[in-house]
Amino acid sequence: MKRLALVAMLGLAAAMPVQAQTVVKHLHITSIPAEVELMNSIAAEFMAANPDIKIELPFLENEAFKAKLTTLLQSADAPDVFHSWGGGVFYEQAAAGVLRPVEDVLSDEAKANIGTAGVSAFTAPDGHMYGVARDVSEVVLWYNKALFEQAGVDPASMSDWDGFLAGVQKFKDAGITPIAIGAKDKWPAHFWWSKLVIRLAGKDGFDAAARGEGDGFAGEDFVKAGDYFLQLSALDPWQEGFLAASYGDASGLFGDGKAAMHLMGDWDYGAMKDNSANKAGIPDDQLGILPFPTIEGGKGDPTDTLGGLGGVLFSKNASDAAVKWIEFFNSPEQQAKYAKEAYYIPIAKGAADVMTNPFKVQIGKDISGAHWHALFFDQALGPNVGGVVNDISAELAGNSMSAEEAAEMIKEAVDDSL
Amino acid sequence: MASIATGADVGAVAGSRKRRLFERNSLPALLLFLPPALILFSLFVVLPMVDAATFSFFDWNGYGPITDFVGFENYADVLTHRNFGTAVRNSLIVVVVSLVVQLPLAMWCAIALSERGVHINVLRTLFFLPFMLAEVAAGLIWNFVYDGNYGLLPAIGDAIGVDMPFVLGDKFWVIPAIMLVITWKYFGFHMMIFIAGLQSIPSEVIEAARLDGVKRWQIVRHIKIPMIRSAIVISVFFAITGALQLFDLIIPLSNGGPSHSSHTIVTFLYQFGILRMKLGFGGAISVILFIACVIVALAYRRILFKVEQN
Repeated sequence: MKRLALVAMLGLAAAMPVQAQTVVKHLHITSIPAEVELMNSIAAEFMAANPDIKIELPFLENEAFKAKLTTLLQSADAPDVFHSWGGGVFYEQAAAGVLRPVEDVLSDEAKANIGTAGVSAFTAPDGHMYGVARDVSEVVLWYNKALFEQAGVDPASMSDWDGFLAGVQKFKDAGITPIAIGAKDKWPAHFWWSKLVIRLAGKDGFDAAARGEGDGFAGEDFVKAGDYFLQLSALDPWQEGFLAASYGDASGLFGDGKAAMHLMGDWDYGAMKDNSANKAGIPDDQLGILPFPTIEGGKGDPTDTLGGLGGVLFSKNASDAAVKWIEFFNSPEQQAKYAKEAYYIPIAKGAADVMTNPFKVQIGKDISGAHWHALFFDQALGPNVGGVVNDISAELAGNSMSAEEAAEMIKEAVDDSL
Repeated sequence: MASIATGADVGAVAGSRKRRLFERNSLPALLLFLPPALILFSLFVVLPMVDAATFSFFDWNGYGPITDFVGFENYADVLTHRNFGTAVRNSLIVVVVSLVVQLPLAMWCAIALSERGVHINVLRTLFFLPFMLAEVAAGLIWNFVYDGNYGLLPAIGDAIGVDMPFVLGDKFWVIPAIMLVITWKYFGFHMMIFIAGLQSIPSEVIEAARLDGVKRWQIVRHIKIPMIRSAIVISVFFAITGALQLFDLIIPLSNGGPSHSSHTIVTFLYQFGILRMKLGFGGAISVILFIACVIVALAYRRILFKVEQN
């Protein structure tokens, strides 16, 4: 036994390279095992070509990541590269000087690769570019075709709000849970509020409110968004115990075929399978995407989408090696692997062309054809206002707050942070 | 904590102790042994406290230098926050439940299990086990127990034909559910303190009482409980301060929800101070909590002192 250990140690020593390696820590939030495997293999390929660089891929779960990042970025243990949803949180990090501007290091090729939308998403108000866009995502209304048939609901009848409510009622009458929601985590609930705001207030209304102009988020359209949300909540459309359900619970419930709809990002296509009891989820031919119901008189453009433009940011002490790694990781060649497996929709030029998954292809078209691709509101508005938006959304889902009060609370938070 | 219990004696002996220190010329020893503890204490207790108190007067999001002085605005914001009252109420409920339910239960178990014997040891270990579990692990376990779809609770409900609510998603049931976990988790700890106290009672006293024909209950009431008074004093103090600082059980259980109805003061601080990146606001909460704890400690000492004199 002892001898074995000795041999193993000698082996390790021999395998260790002599020259010092630059370590690049890339903090990610990928939890699907096969996707992590893919990331590891890309890192291995990169390290084989660059023996002087060592890539480490530490993982933090979504919620833990958000909670830990502020402290982490200001500690000696800060990652070189980390996941980001862009928006208000990114701007605060940039303003605080915890990020490294990379516009001079990043190759023109890498910039062209992510396009103007990708560059501007990771350029802070100070004009510096601090990161690289990786993927686009969209929040869509997933639905289970089998359950629609069972309840006798025609998906086409749900294209406007009244039709949508009528459809939800039909599911209730048929004893089927109409909608899965992970309201314990709150952000899944805020998608409903966001989609309603996008329909009712549109880009101009939202931007003005975020700047605190006029009545801000206490304005008419935002109160209306709350009212429409409450109309839905009044039908009790969610699964039993939805206030105690996390995103994962809701995703699993939908994946198990126990709820007819789930308003969630395109990533739920994979996550819904992973969270389901049999790990297979809803088969592709039973799964569909409903357009979010339109609202008469709404100021939003019908093509408007809600979602993300995610990527990675470089922390203050990131080395050039970190930039080199991300250029490699984000190259169309590598990103095509993600597209092929339908983990997400890469922004890298041409990478998404290999996508065969019909849902991801449709979502990719939605986003590129959108008049406004609204960033997740809780990220776009920053942690404090975003937190309040999440709070009131969970309250509205639980039918425990008036629309006026909800709108007023967001306005207060905005005024407070201006 | 022990220093609180014996605090009354400290003043009396302080004078003579000081003299002794210099007489024996123990200054070298003092210089040698005090710094490590003092440095660690200052670095990890005093300094952060001063820091938090400083933030509480600034508007600060956690990044960069602290410059935006706002006076007492954070304090005003805390006191008028719509969820702060709930958090305080919940913390007080935890204190009350700890004192009224948990400690009597612990005492009852301690008295029943203070004898020696194999089966008693097994039971004792069993009751102490929850205390040894990490808080987060315990919280997750109970999260599964309470889960309305696949948990133990709805399974029991089904077996007896009662439709159980999703307790952690229910504004009313979430607090009792958490109280049950707290009691389950910590009564073993207090039981152990009481057992240690009970075992230090000389057996002659009990025997003499028994020979005099004193009944079992009277032995408990008039001999055992009065004789482990100091253990009770410590337990009560632990229960109160522990309740005021309760955090890590709540996070995995309910995360303060639904609708922020199950926050304690500390989870409230974490949610609205840390996660929302309003560290000045968080600092103000921590100062308020600190003052509350100091008041409790001083009041407790004073009450004990009075009782002692009577």
